[in-house]
Amino acid sequence: MTPPFSRVLVANRGEIALRIIRACHELGMEAVAVYSDADASAAHVRAADLAVRIGPPPSAESYLRADAIVDAAVATGAEAVHPGYGFLAERASFAEAVERAGLVFVGPDHRSIAALGDKLAARRVATEAGVPVVPGTLEPVLVDRPDRVAGIVDEAERIGFPLLVKAAAGGGGRGIRRVERVEDLPAALLAGSREAAAGFGDGTVYLEHEVLPARHIEVQLLGDRTGAVVALGERDCSIQRRHQKLIEESPAPGLSEADRRELHGLAVRVASAAGLRNAATAEFLRDREGRFWFLEVNTRLQVEHGVTELVSGLDIVAEQFGLAAGRPLSDRAREAAAGAATPTSHAIEVRLSAEDPARAFAPAPGRVTAWVMPGGPGVRVDTAIEAGERVSPDYDPLVAKLMVHAADRPAAIARLRRALDEVEIGGIQTTLPFHRYVVRDPAFIDGELSTGWVDEHWDGPAERSAAVGMALRAAGLAALDEATPTPPAVPAATPAPAASPDGRSSWRAEGRRAATDRWPG
Amino acid sequence: MTLDGPSADATRAPGPDGDGRGSRAMRVRVGPASHLDGDPTVVVAVSPTGVLVDGTPVGLDLTSVDGRHAILHVAEPAVSGVSGAAGNAGSERAVRLTLGALERRTEDAVGRREVVVDGWRVLVEVEPEARAALRERARRGRSERVAGGPVDVRAIIPGRIVALNVASGDDVTAGQQLLVLEAMKMQNELRAPRDGTIDRVAVAVGEDVEVGDLLLVIR
Repeated sequence: MTPPFSRVLVANRGEIALRIIRACHELGMEAVAVYSDADASAAHVRAADLAVRIGPPPSAESYLRADAIVDAAVATGAEAVHPGYGFLAERASFAEAVERAGLVFVGPDHRSIAALGDKLAARRVATEAGVPVVPGTLEPVLVDRPDRVAGIVDEAERIGFPLLVKAAAGGGGRGIRRVERVEDLPAALLAGSREAAAGFGDGTVYLEHEVLPARHIEVQLLGDRTGAVVALGERDCSIQRRHQKLIEESPAPGLSEADRRELHGLAVRVASAAGLRNAATAEFLRDREGRFWFLEVNTRLQVEHGVTELVSGLDIVAEQFGLAAGRPLSDRAREAAAGAATPTSHAIEVRLSAEDPARAFAPAPGRVTAWVMPGGPGVRVDTAIEAGERVSPDYDPLVAKLMVHAADRPAAIARLRRALDEVEIGGIQTTLPFHRYVVRDPAFIDGELSTGWVDEHWDGPAERSAAVGMALRAAGLAALDEATPTPPAVPAATPAPAASPDGRSSWRAEGRRAATDRWPG
Repeated sequence: MTLDGPSADATRAPGPDGDGRGSRAMRVRVGPASHLDGDPTVVVAVSPTGVLVDGTPVGLDLTSVDGRHAILHVAEPAVSGVSGAAGNAGSERAVRLTLGALERRTEDAVGRREVVVDGWRVLVEVEPEARAALRERARRGRSERVAGGPVDVRAIIPGRIVALNVASGDDVTAGQQLLVLEAMKMQNELRAPRDGTIDRVAVAVGEDVEVGDLLLVIR
């Protein structure tokens, strides 16, 4: 088949830039990378056919500079721009600038991005399409009108506490504040609005009931220019902390075929109503009673798209390029959609991030000194990191996405456990211990997932302290092993240990023998 | 063979360098970048009969796989109160770990290395127990004179200074916010470790700092 384009600019960095460049090359297209000074020798730059420097390390001066990126695309003769996720991926103004320059934006139309990027507008679209939305307001809360305070309080009590103050322009888990008591509401609204204005350039906030316990389940969607929209399957992303996903899997455990058909149908209805083209994801909460509540639509490729690729057998990025070139939904995509409610395999992804899981997942950037990723059957690793690389504090802490694919969920968990045991990372703290814990946790294995899982099941400091005890003992023994006595200073009469045949100091052999004698096998 | 454990006779100072005795026991602690309170310090020693941790015999052995990978064999305690030698031998757990390269400061014989256990990265400091005891006695005398001496506040993560709440000469109380360090879009507030007066501010808003960089001094 002819390539959808001949040359594509990838407006991103890290693993997702590499992922998109790989799709370009498989489709027979050339890829243009952009990079900041921090990434001059990064993997995505080396993988690309051309690369353009766009600025210094801070995102605001490089990967968020729409003008510099459009200029780079025009200068290199690229026909299309793929934004990846994050950075400019959901900025309608960027999509519009790309189109104005005569290029193709690989993603939904800028009008759909604008309509769905405003979370409040998305809630109204869903409501009009007859899709149940999480209880809350459909209009902005007027935070600067003292005369309206009584009305807001009435509204909040009708919605029910605890509730969330959310930024209409927020996303990626940012711009959310939790309010438990009515007396905290006015302050939370003001602070939330200020934060939203500073973070997203728009201080509009709204109220949403906090559904607890809830599972976070989302649906992968594709749409073409004829208005056809299909669902490729769902992902359970309930294991989160502070609204940031840590583990994603597909299919969502415990759903019946009827549940899946209902959920996929709701997602397609919202997307169709918004005129979705290309790829997007509709997010829902599932409450204890099994009801689905619409949350929001992300008008871009998701971080976790790979698990859907493994289960559906589809290359979502390749599909995006075809759709962007104006082609109708491919036969492959339609086949995948037809089987989406009856999945025949299972995939799980863990996000390895440079974060300290003993310190509330605080960022832990630094230089990677050792980097061993797993392999073998059913394992996929999307990463752009290698040993010697510096994980910069300027960007997202995600360092690798480790995915496994197997016949069913128990087999996938066993494979993930095995794959995580193969991982070796030095120089930076990552979320690896958290993931190793999760895959051995009985509740996770039983499919008991909820957005409160991390708080209920994970005690980072306690897990770490057990490891610290082992590390100290090992370091002590190693130091004793290495502190070989200097021969001339040891008088012959001293019962100094003689070197054993294997060249080690004999205390080691003694210690080993003593241990072996006491604990055979 | 004698042991320089924590209960060892304080008058038994180590002999001249190289007699080997001081290195029969090692004091091990989490390194200077430790961010969690309450990380323990242990003394690991060897005797002809086995390994002692803090003076207590334990079933512990380290097998090196290569220069970097090792296995720590940990004997789980046997069930007590059961008679007979054969029935309660306990079991052994093998903990796989990696040992980073040892960096040694020549002036004080303290070795530093990274140990990764179960994905946890632990920076450890190792020092011959006899030397550690000597150094501690010396410091005790000194610290009594300079109790409340200057404290260097250093960066424990790399990032950018986005707010500075104090200036040189300001009085601060323990827990008071000193500055905000942004890393990966997260704002990390740095608070005063104790009461005092800001002696010097070594950074400015907008500046990038690396781990260990001096931020300010409290006196």
